[in-house]
Amino acid sequence: MTSLVLLWDVSLVLCVIGAVALLVLLLARARANRSAASWTQARAAVLPQLLDGPDQPQRLRGTELEVATMLTSELAEMTAGSERAAMLERASAMGVPALLEARLLSRSAQTRLSAVETLSLFPQYGKRVERVLDDPNPDVRLGAALALAQRDDAPPPSLIVEKLRIGCEERSLLLVSMMRDLAEHDAGAVAGLLFEKDVPYEAKVAATDALAIVGPRYAPLLAYMASDSAGESDLQPRIYRALGRLGHPSGRDTILNGLKSEEWPVRASAAEAAGKSGLAEAADTLGELLADENWWVRFRAGEALLRIGPRGLAVLQTARASEVEMTRTTAQAILAERQAA
Amino acid sequence: MTGLDLSSLAGTQAAGWMTASAEAIAFVVIATGLLQSVFYFVQLAYAGAALATRPPVPRSTTLWRRYSEQAPAISVLAPAYNEELNIVESTRSLLALQYPDFEVIVINDGSRDGTLQRLIDAFGLSRVERFVDQAVDHAPIRGYYASPAVPRLLVVDKENGGKADALNAGINCCRTALFCAIDADSILEADALLRVVRPFIDDPDLTIAAGGTIRIANGSKVDSGRIIDIALPRNFLALVQIVEYLRAFLMARLGLSKMQALTVISGAFGLFRRRQVVEVGGYSHATVGEDMELVIKLHRLMRDRKQPYRIDFIAEPVCWTECPDSLRVLSRQRARWQRGALECFSKHRDMLFNPRYGRIGFVGFGQILLVDVLGPLIEVIGYFLVPLLYALGLLALPWLLAFLAVTFTLGLFLSMATLVLEEIQLRRFPRARELVALAAVAVLENFGYRQLSNFWRLQGWWQWLRKQESWGTMTRKGFATAV
Repeated sequence: MTSLVLLWDVSLVLCVIGAVALLVLLLARARANRSAASWTQARAAVLPQLLDGPDQPQRLRGTELEVATMLTSELAEMTAGSERAAMLERASAMGVPALLEARLLSRSAQTRLSAVETLSLFPQYGKRVERVLDDPNPDVRLGAALALAQRDDAPPPSLIVEKLRIGCEERSLLLVSMMRDLAEHDAGAVAGLLFEKDVPYEAKVAATDALAIVGPRYAPLLAYMASDSAGESDLQPRIYRALGRLGHPSGRDTILNGLKSEEWPVRASAAEAAGKSGLAEAADTLGELLADENWWVRFRAGEALLRIGPRGLAVLQTARASEVEMTRTTAQAILAERQAA
Repeated sequence: MTGLDLSSLAGTQAAGWMTASAEAIAFVVIATGLLQSVFYFVQLAYAGAALATRPPVPRSTTLWRRYSEQAPAISVLAPAYNEELNIVESTRSLLALQYPDFEVIVINDGSRDGTLQRLIDAFGLSRVERFVDQAVDHAPIRGYYASPAVPRLLVVDKENGGKADALNAGINCCRTALFCAIDADSILEADALLRVVRPFIDDPDLTIAAGGTIRIANGSKVDSGRIIDIALPRNFLALVQIVEYLRAFLMARLGLSKMQALTVISGAFGLFRRRQVVEVGGYSHATVGEDMELVIKLHRLMRDRKQPYRIDFIAEPVCWTECPDSLRVLSRQRARWQRGALECFSKHRDMLFNPRYGRIGFVGFGQILLVDVLGPLIEVIGYFLVPLLYALGLLALPWLLAFLAVTFTLGLFLSMATLVLEEIQLRRFPRARELVALAAVAVLENFGYRQLSNFWRLQGWWQWLRKQESWGTMTRKGFATAV
């Protein structure tokens, strides 16, 4: 009986706790609403100063400084070049970087991430931002790395790979954006990652994708990587797609080999690459792939034949009358779709 | 011993036996209720932890800057059946989503009204050919419609086969690695795709499905397919459902996702990796719980293969939907949901407490057993018997109080705790008075609505036992538009 009454008592106590918590939150909301007016006032005062004020505005405090910090982050996304540089100088004189540095110590990962992204815009804070690569939160570390990668004084890619714990804790696709930014400053250092034995697989994949974006200079290396990664079903298709984006002649043999892979994702990505590279030599093999057991391969092969031009079109027209039903129906459907488009 | 003594002893024994039986019944009812409450408390704790440790939530502009280059292409599949009133506005809203690379595939599931013609007229569509996969089964396709002026839009016209069938047709048509299943009559927030794709960007090799939050749009103002003013409805049933949805998504799904034991992603808004969905045969036809069953099939596939994977729920991306505001329509919907849960449970019952399926077998299926299978049966029995037995003097007051605790006050606390989570972490309601109103509704729902809801679930039980398969009609009034 005691436990039954206890259950009732506990449930009542919990209800009271819930109601009090809600009440406190409502009061907090009411208080926040009251301070909204002063926030709006401060915003109206600070915005013109940041955008078009004197080069050395006065140092701000309290609500005005908080508003200036928020506006700096917003305006940085809308401005560029000299306009952004001038805005950041004014923000610096107002004391924004100091507040951002203080926020890097916040318990909230959200606050630290916003702070490090904005702080990295200020040229003289590279080293401070670099220290955030040791932050306990992986999202904050990645945010810092992405911000650093856009700077001229970015740390070496190998250091970022180590700090982000790529492969163990970090697998984000955003690593490709980061590697691309790093490669724009030092493509050699990013390419060097591919030859490092201890660099994790995920970092190499991101580096591969990034090098394909940077330009055709690394096409031979990617072609070599594609051949060397046989059996790695996730990596190989990405390399083939990268080769397709480059469209460089050095990828030719690799792409032709990929069309004969036993893995359907590799065949499909190689077919896609053949189309994007306009690889006319691949036309006959692509014609055979119109009867592939996997729909994606058939679709990519048909798409590639259309991209290749007259030779591909001829293969498709011949296939339309093929005795092999799958080849015939695929070719008919691909051609019908093209004519209707 | 005299005859009087004997009859008195027999009477005492009978009374003792009756009291013991009454207490046994009350014990089962209270123990089941308490077990459910404990399960909800665990979910609440996990949901709180999930929100507290969730990745930082960037603003929309930051999201675009960070994700636009790497965001994988998505096909948005919108099945439509007799939606001529809203289909054009809904499609326009989908085409205006903020996402770098997406295609909208509207599947006209054999509508008997002018849904298809409205689309053709509004977007200048003409008949086209499309090379499509035949990976999953669906009713025959009558034609494809597109226009060079709206390159992101494809309309598929097919014979009627139900929502699951229409989604399967969309899966066959889509040419992207990810597809997003939605209801054509729902409203996705502009940045919802950018937000829901996050797990696929953060963990591209492991994530196979992700769901977002469904919120109720009744009472809110809509303009050009966008929610422009979030407000509460005046209808009590719609208000109660807002509290229910908050509990379901902010507490249950978020908590279960944190435990990696999520067994359902709402059919109104879910993002899936096409490859795995095709491998499980797409959506099942012979069930009204096709969204739940798809997720269970995905769990089964990955667990059977012993492959690591993730199925996540994310609170920030929101899909707004209109909820029923009449007892007749709501009762049909709830009975159908109950039937869907029972169908899934029955079909995959071998997963229950099966170590091969790990936390899905124990936590996910344990939750279905406790909340969906046993919950309504035992609670309804409790509503009738516990007060009756107390009135007859067979149960003491503490039994009644404990019953009230598990059916009323603990539920009230959970509702308030969910509102606290909402206010601290998401704060979607712009005005404080709306929170006060929802707190009041959380109290009032226990007087009548909760009992009614359990009765509808019993109707679902009965329909399941009779193998009823129809969906029933969902009558919608349309969103309130801004003036």
